[in-house]
Amino acid sequence: VELGWPSHVTADVAQKHITLSDAEIRERLSGNICRCGAYPNIIAAIRDVAVGASE
Amino acid sequence: MKPFTYERVVDAREAGAAVLRANAKFISGGTNLLDLMKLEIEQPAHLVDISQLPLNRLEDLPSGGFRIEAQARNSDVAADPRVRVRYRAVSEALLAGASGQLRNKASIGGNIVQRTRCPYFYDTASVCNKRTPDDGCAALSGINRVHAILGASDACIATHPSDMAVALSALGAEIELLAPDQSTRRVAIDDFYCLPGNTPHIETVLRPGEMITAVILPAPPPGWQRYRKVRDRASYAFALVSVAVIVATDRETITAARVAFGGLAPKPWRCLDAEAALTGRPATLATYQAAADLAVNGAIGRGYNDFKIELAKRTLCRTLAEARQLGIGGPS
Repeated sequence: VELGWPSHVTADVAQKHITLSDAEIRERLSGNICRCGAYPNIIAAIRDVAVGASE
Repeated sequence: MKPFTYERVVDAREAGAAVLRANAKFISGGTNLLDLMKLEIEQPAHLVDISQLPLNRLEDLPSGGFRIEAQARNSDVAADPRVRVRYRAVSEALLAGASGQLRNKASIGGNIVQRTRCPYFYDTASVCNKRTPDDGCAALSGINRVHAILGASDACIATHPSDMAVALSALGAEIELLAPDQSTRRVAIDDFYCLPGNTPHIETVLRPGEMITAVILPAPPPGWQRYRKVRDRASYAFALVSVAVIVATDRETITAARVAFGGLAPKPWRCLDAEAALTGRPATLATYQAAADLAVNGAIGRGYNDFKIELAKRTLCRTLAEARQLGIGGPS
């Protein structure tokens, strides 16, 4: 996201700036398999880190 | 897994010499070949690793086209700004495939020659004509929900799994090949794959020892490009149906169209009939439906996959409408 790489859920792959939405986080997590039901908290944690990093 | 020897080559001449050894095979990302070796479906005696060859450039061509070298990684091609703007169907198709980890490993050449994901091909307890010629096809009377409705035969109903190849077919790409004697040739992607007929074990026109060195994209055709993939999960799954469309309109009339399907056939399925039925016609649902009927003309359902005929038609109509909307609303 920082490098402006699009993903499958990016509405327009040609756009330069990507917004880190929950859908973007979920799609970019795809392939990392967690079987313990922790996904919602993982997404929240990534969001926290991303917001912290940009402050 | 059977024992094998391994060598990494650094130039194409060395690769050509190495692959002439008995039962040698090229390997790059290994995202498909290694799985097949573990199941002993592929049993190479010698692996020639071509991933480090200096063949990973992406470059504009004087013709207005674009050249993607075969050792470029799927993720790098999907993220390239030129591909995203001028060949967005390629970017969208790559991003719809596999996962980030796999796209980072997988090469463009390997994507093109990856094998089917037919479950009976992978199940060595089942018969399969692709694995063992004249063995039989367990999918014909099996759970054939993911199988082909077009271009298949009574010997094999497996589909080709690549998303990218579908976009390449719509764009009219060519594949550049290098023989062990260092001679090169180019093959149009639609001529590169073979239909199964009675010889489903022969999948491409690749000659012994030939290597894919690049994909050549012609200048982008006019119109808006869109790749849509329909699958059981929203991510990390193969297509039940996918379609790449390129649609150009002048006010309410379609002036040019390209259509290619994935998930329906043993190869990316370009639909020239559907394209002809769209061109010069009004951009309406009735036109899309007429083209969709032509696209699945001759389709054969095998039971569990009957639904693909209707799904393919609806996916095409929806994607054509979407591409037209995007074409009006956005830059072209």
